[in-house]
Amino acid sequence: MSRRVADALSRPVRWPAFLGALVVIALLPMVLGTPYWRGILVVCAMNVLLAMSLNLVIGYTGQLSLGQSGFFAIGAYVTTVLLKSYGWNFWLAGVAAVLAAGLVGLLLAAFAARLRGHYLGIASLGFAVIVYQILINWESVTKGVRGIYGIMPPPPIRLPGLPEISFGNQATLFYLVAGIALCVYVILDNLVRSPIGETLRAIREDEISAASLGVNGARWKAFSFGVSAAIAGLAGCFYPGFVGTLVPDAFGIVESFTMLAMVIVGGMGTMIGPVIGAVVLTFLPEVLRGFGDFRLIVYGLALTLVVLFMPGGILQAWQILTARLRGTEASESTGGGR
Amino acid sequence: MSALLEAKELRKSFGGVKAVQGISLSIPEHSIYAVIGPNGAGKSTMMNLLSGTYQPDAGELLFAGRQLAGLPAHQRVRLGLARTFQKIRLFKQLSLLDNVLAGFHIHHKVPAWQYLIPGAAFWRDWTHCREQGMALLEFVGLADLAMQRAGSLAYGQQRMLEIARAMATGPRLFMLDEPAAGLNSVEVGFLLQRLKDMRERGITVVVVEHNMDLVMKVADHVFVMDRGEYLFEGAPREVQNNPKVIEAYLGGEFTGGLDS
Ligand SMILES: Nc1ncnc2c1ncn2[C@@H]1O[C@H](COP(=O)(O)OP(=O)(O)OP(=O)(O)O)[C@@H](O)[C@H]1O
Ligand SMILES: [Mg+2]
Repeated sequence: MSRRVADALSRPVRWPAFLGALVVIALLPMVLGTPYWRGILVVCAMNVLLAMSLNLVIGYTGQLSLGQSGFFAIGAYVTTVLLKSYGWNFWLAGVAAVLAAGLVGLLLAAFAARLRGHYLGIASLGFAVIVYQILINWESVTKGVRGIYGIMPPPPIRLPGLPEISFGNQATLFYLVAGIALCVYVILDNLVRSPIGETLRAIREDEISAASLGVNGARWKAFSFGVSAAIAGLAGCFYPGFVGTLVPDAFGIVESFTMLAMVIVGGMGTMIGPVIGAVVLTFLPEVLRGFGDFRLIVYGLALTLVVLFMPGGILQAWQILTARLRGTEASESTGGGR
Repeated sequence: MSALLEAKELRKSFGGVKAVQGISLSIPEHSIYAVIGPNGAGKSTMMNLLSGTYQPDAGELLFAGRQLAGLPAHQRVRLGLARTFQKIRLFKQLSLLDNVLAGFHIHHKVPAWQYLIPGAAFWRDWTHCREQGMALLEFVGLADLAMQRAGSLAYGQQRMLEIARAMATGPRLFMLDEPAAGLNSVEVGFLLQRLKDMRERGITVVVVEHNMDLVMKVADHVFVMDRGEYLFEGAPREVQNNPKVIEAYLGGEFTGGLDS
């Protein structure tokens, strides 16, 4: 086998990074030991899920979606309504909520099949506004602006032979959500490296070209929207039990904007970029805490600066920086290409 | 030789522009079929109708005896139609290899769950596609650059990459819209050889071309269009000497071909 073919067949080694992530997740609640900071950790894990979900549509499939908060809302409300009004078990309600969000994502993609670029952005924004209005006006189910109160965290897990795992405290809840986020990361990473990822990127780059290779653009965009929506719904499952209350204002279009900022600031179209974006944009406002909606100012400013000065986001800026620091070494190790 | 693709009275207008006005043609299997004509003759529109990028206003289209009318472009690929574009449409941000790998879209045979958690079938397909992809890059002379970004290639190389990508679909009928445009003479020579190789491999090749030297050297059959209409067809030599064709091309590119 020639060296060129051997290069093409080399597989990246990922388990060290996976183990590293496990260790970091395990240590974080100990490093950030107060209930307040542990609460921020839970929010951060949810944001990582949301940013990853949006990135699949925007970063990998190249479709502008500004309605991610709508799917987050569906996940949160379906879980809570099934739990509180119908007495469902939390885990079952969660599965239903994920499926519901995914299905709505598919439907939205089907309706918007012909829309591209700005038009798709506007349609998806409209979707988030509609979901928000439904949450406010469908009072018999959602309790409208008054909101739903007294929502319990996920019920404890009892496994034979092991101590009971309860999610009443922030640390275990963080382990749960972060663990799920890590699993989602690994699965999405596999997906985007698979032929499906090749197909989605082909659509992102040029849909007409993709069609000339046999790609049904509408179908795969719907797939991308569906998976993305399901993951946002998954994040939504854990939100109500963490906050304890559920009000429509938690799902305004400004939340969609927040997720977009995380994806772009971190570096869209890469797996790790949006994770970095979610972590930075969750913690930055906390570190620089000030008045009222300070958070949004930080997001707006970060987004503007990134779009203006480093379109590839933090990840790309970091790569450029390390390449510069390594200097000639780096260009030698990449070899081959003249 | 039987006809692999048959078009009957195809018509396509854009607003007031009658780009294709009742074209009928019959493309024999395992041949190289050239479509020529002055600028704006409707050649690209014809390719777009055959590939399904556009749907005809009227007319019939048969591929291996099967009606193509109404079938979108992506479904025609599954029947064995592939194409390149006159204006190059690569996935510029992706590597050369990734461009070609995208061309295997219709050929993956992997249980769906293995896209999430790779198993043996996934890795078999993964290896197979990369080996085939590298072989295709080798075929177009770009294997050395496999890991580079497609957008960084020189113009002629981009054309060759587009050919490799389309070939990954495994076509029976391969349509190339002006593959020699922008190529230097060495590259044209290489392209010429590759077109012959494709025919050798059993692929039916349709080539729209302005480079008459290339057409005269490789084509088994030449179809001439002018202003959306049929002008003439026949063997390269017949076309070269036909007064109607010479007239249509008067002062145009064809003079170069006539001298040679
Ligand atoms: N999408 C389109 N919309 C409007 N007009 C079009 C479109 N595509 C082609 N045309 C028109 O149809 C006519 C035929 O164009 P076409 O591109 O098929 O010619 P061609 O033979 O490929 O020419 P060239 O040799 O310059 O590539 C031209 O007048 C062109 O302007
Ligand atoms: Mg043309």
